[in-house]
Amino acid sequence: MSIRVRINGVEKELDVDPEMPLLWALRDVLGLTGTKYGCGQALCGACTVHLDGQTVRACVTPIRRADGHSVTTIEGLSPDGNHPLQRAWVDLGVPQCGFCQAGQLMCAAALLEKKPKPTDAEIDHSLAGNLCRCGTYTRIRAAVKKAAGMSGE
Amino acid sequence: MLPQVGPSELRAPEAFGVITDKTDRSRALFLEASRVFLHPRCANCHPDGNSPYQRTGWQLHDPPVQRGPEDRGIPGMECTSCHQDRNAELARVPGAPNWHVAPLSMAWVGRTPRQVCEQLKDPARNGGKTLAQIVEHNAHDELVGWGWKPGADREPAPGTQERFGAIVAAWVETGAECPSEEARP
Amino acid sequence: MSNRHTLIARRTFLAGMNLAVGGLAVGFFSSDSLADEPTGKRSGPRPPTSSQAEESSAPGLNPNVFVHVAPDGLVTIVCHRSEMGQGIRSSLPVLIADELGAEMARVKIVQADGDPAYGDQNTDGSNSVRGIYEDMRRVGATARTMLVAAAAKRWKVSPDTCEASGHVVLHRPSQRELGFGELALEAGKLAVPKPADVKLRPKNELRNVGKPLPLLDGPAYVNGSAVFGADIRLPGMLTAVIARPSIVGARVVKYDASRALAVPGVKRVIELPAPKAPYAFQTWGGIAVLAENTWAAMKGRAALEIIWDEGENATYDSEQYRKTLSASVASPGTVLRSVGDAEAALSKAARVLEAEYHVPHLSHAPMEPPVAVARVEGGTCEIWAPTQHPQAARGTAAQVLGLPPEKVTVHVTFLGGGFGRKSKADFISEVVLLAKEAGVPVRVQWTREDDIRNDYYHSVSAQRLTAGLDENGKVVAWRHRTAFPPIGSTFGPVNRPSLGDLQQGVLDLGIGVPNIRAEACEANAHVRIGWLRSVYNIFHAFSVNSFIDEIAHARGEDPRDVLLEVLGPPRVMKTVRELGIEKLSNYGQPLEKHPVNVARLRGVIERVTELSRWSDRKKEGRALGLAAHRSFLSYVAVVASVVRNPDGKIAVDEAWIVVDAGTVINPDRVKAQMEGSIIFGTSIALYSGITMKGGAVEQSNFRDYRLARIGEAPRKIHVEIVPSEEAPGGIGEPGVPPVAPAIANAVFALTGTRVRELPISKALKT
Repeated sequence: MSIRVRINGVEKELDVDPEMPLLWALRDVLGLTGTKYGCGQALCGACTVHLDGQTVRACVTPIRRADGHSVTTIEGLSPDGNHPLQRAWVDLGVPQCGFCQAGQLMCAAALLEKKPKPTDAEIDHSLAGNLCRCGTYTRIRAAVKKAAGMSGE
Repeated sequence: MLPQVGPSELRAPEAFGVITDKTDRSRALFLEASRVFLHPRCANCHPDGNSPYQRTGWQLHDPPVQRGPEDRGIPGMECTSCHQDRNAELARVPGAPNWHVAPLSMAWVGRTPRQVCEQLKDPARNGGKTLAQIVEHNAHDELVGWGWKPGADREPAPGTQERFGAIVAAWVETGAECPSEEARP
Repeated sequence: MSNRHTLIARRTFLAGMNLAVGGLAVGFFSSDSLADEPTGKRSGPRPPTSSQAEESSAPGLNPNVFVHVAPDGLVTIVCHRSEMGQGIRSSLPVLIADELGAEMARVKIVQADGDPAYGDQNTDGSNSVRGIYEDMRRVGATARTMLVAAAAKRWKVSPDTCEASGHVVLHRPSQRELGFGELALEAGKLAVPKPADVKLRPKNELRNVGKPLPLLDGPAYVNGSAVFGADIRLPGMLTAVIARPSIVGARVVKYDASRALAVPGVKRVIELPAPKAPYAFQTWGGIAVLAENTWAAMKGRAALEIIWDEGENATYDSEQYRKTLSASVASPGTVLRSVGDAEAALSKAARVLEAEYHVPHLSHAPMEPPVAVARVEGGTCEIWAPTQHPQAARGTAAQVLGLPPEKVTVHVTFLGGGFGRKSKADFISEVVLLAKEAGVPVRVQWTREDDIRNDYYHSVSAQRLTAGLDENGKVVAWRHRTAFPPIGSTFGPVNRPSLGDLQQGVLDLGIGVPNIRAEACEANAHVRIGWLRSVYNIFHAFSVNSFIDEIAHARGEDPRDVLLEVLGPPRVMKTVRELGIEKLSNYGQPLEKHPVNVARLRGVIERVTELSRWSDRKKEGRALGLAAHRSFLSYVAVVASVVRNPDGKIAVDEAWIVVDAGTVINPDRVKAQMEGSIIFGTSIALYSGITMKGGAVEQSNFRDYRLARIGEAPRKIHVEIVPSEEAPGGIGEPGVPPVAPAIANAVFALTGTRVRELPISKALKT
């Protein structure tokens, strides 16, 4: 089945199983490997991307759902890696192994779209689906606030 | 005097014909329907707080989610961030169209059958529905119907959606009476 | 240690690294890396064997395999240890650059392939900085010495009058300077100086060491361009997903692949060889489905029909095994530590306290499950993998394929977390076998379920501690019995912890008790046991620190005071005799250089209790717990603040951690490791546990193998690094062991419930 998706602003046509999760379409078919596989069951958030601006877990989102819609991945979060969240992430040295961070950033970006000045609780609630085994949570919270122009604790 | 049924079955509406008093029959029909309303497959997403439940022991949903202002989650954790229009293949994530949490006014968890009954009949707490619309919703809504095809190893709600719809219809036809506070199925 | 350096003939390290330039490079490894680690997994240095050992015609300075100075001034530094989140690429090369006198802005860092020419590359044991600190400085100093020599020769002055800094060599008397690039070609023609002729800089000349350093790979991590193992894509590559048995040692009786092969995109179905005990780095066996994409391979696997022979481990049951371990520590084991006469002292004690502690199997669960890519063709093999141990990967691949190691190249990608899981080469065995059989490049992708169910598990354990107290409550006798299936069981017929195993928090426990006895008790393995971040220290620190807290409460005294009392006065133990043991592997370092320093352990306890206002520990609604532990030659103390949330759940809301790791290179990464240790330890304390039934793991994914989420991790983590000039200790692991006992002790202070078994969620709502 032919599926048309706008990925990071570029129109793409894919001839794949319509049930193929968006994650594998991105990674295996389109070569966009910034979006990560962590659990395959929407439990860890490593695969988070935006579908028409809303976060979805790409590992359980069939590609057919994206047909005729726009998908933004970490590669398209900003043209030059200079999204305020990306800058804050680097400035505060958030990543350790880095594997979960694309998902964390995509979730945080969706949060800031809706809540430009989130509280700690709002950050925790919005990022509750994103696991980090290295344990970067305290810096993630601080970086979201920094990107939001809020002073840290 | 009602026929015995297993926990996974629902009695047919006709079985309630043995109850001659119409009011009593209506109440009994509601108690039968409450086995579905209060089954975790259904009540889990009619929670009494900000988070839905999962599994069968009123465990809070994990990952931790919030109902949000429109009962559809919050930024980054929308219900449909994970739940699709059908159960996910090769993943346990359940899905059905319009996946969301019932509004707080329609909370069932922790309620008695009578309380659920009164809620259902109260347009202020049932989404402004007529009884006919409630029958229709229960009998045909696809999200309601998920309760009988929950996927993975989940225990479905008792009976079938068709029979559940028929019981709710029979309850309405018999006057939509509510059982007593103490009554349990 | 410098006299143990071996210099290899000049060669470039660049051949395998796609660099357009060449330069000066010196081969260099140290026999210090022959560390006597408890896991017996270290391999000694061997002559260089890879294609990288070939001479290159590229110009410039190549004093060793780690450094290259190009004629344009670009300094390339090789990071030979794997980057798995500890920030090694932002740390180790800085040492080399500082010794060299290079500007970090003109330094490029490249990742080494697996090659014994680099010495030990095993990234584990918290060993990268502590193990090779001086070696790395020497690498830079050698290159600097050659650049200085070249400049001195050109200026016809004594090298002693020249200095190197800011990417130039400077002759101060004549105010002349030459850039590193201008000197690279000439320097490259000089003989590599003997180690004795290479002088290290005084520490205060190391410009960046100990300063805030930027996170080298930060930009790549946040824009999606960092290449992890899972991200490698080769032309014509197939992706394999494997149906492994749920019980280790089980084998395929028969299978039907017809439905799997009917899935569009599925190309091949290949049976893998079943392993024989000891399992080591063999495959699990099972059936691999190879497809054009991961989704097709996953669907194909789901369509396989397999009949298994469950084998001898099918009876393994965690409930039952808990009783077996209890019984094991109920009677004497092999005595491995003896000071005074503990048995006599116990029989005469005024009061005897005893407690038994249990910690379950744990799974590493790195966010990136195991994955690897291989191409096997024309008698060569090329592997791309997120491996902590590229040389083991290379050796394993060579063995499995029957190729000489020099025909195998291992490219190390970023690791999406390691924690010990990715030291093991089982997934390498799988990928090379499949790539060979398929005749095309193959990527093996483990699912999360595979990862949770087919891991090398942290060992399940029971600890029985007995203390004899005199009339004043002072501890006069200490007996520690420990039972756990050791890591050695994965590699041979071993069913009892060894001397090497008990170095982790039992033999090196610096307590000031006159009568001490430690015993290793029998425990048979029924799963693959592996090392997980801080290894046996997890349960030894948990039991020891919990027990001392119990003693304090039994005496009705401040746990901090009792902890310090049990540790005894500040002192430095430099001999095994003082410790009452035969020998101490001491994380591969001599006791003389890294003694058991009770003063340093006391120091971190005193500091952490000061920072956390321990004296106010009984505030309304929260309680503090304390624990401290020496491991990997570093000293760490933790105070955890535990609260009960409105929903009744126990949570850790704040934590303080003080680390004395001697000299640190990159304080921000050290701080990050301590923060991460608190959260990793919180998961262990509150949530995580692997249990077995019928020989199979009962958990499958993050739904039932729970890790702390952002709202469940301490909101505030305070880290303090003790300023120190001591030799560096480990960083990646030592933060973890004291976390769980600090939390358990706080839980007791808050709730009155003494939790002797992890995770705490078994006893209390978390």
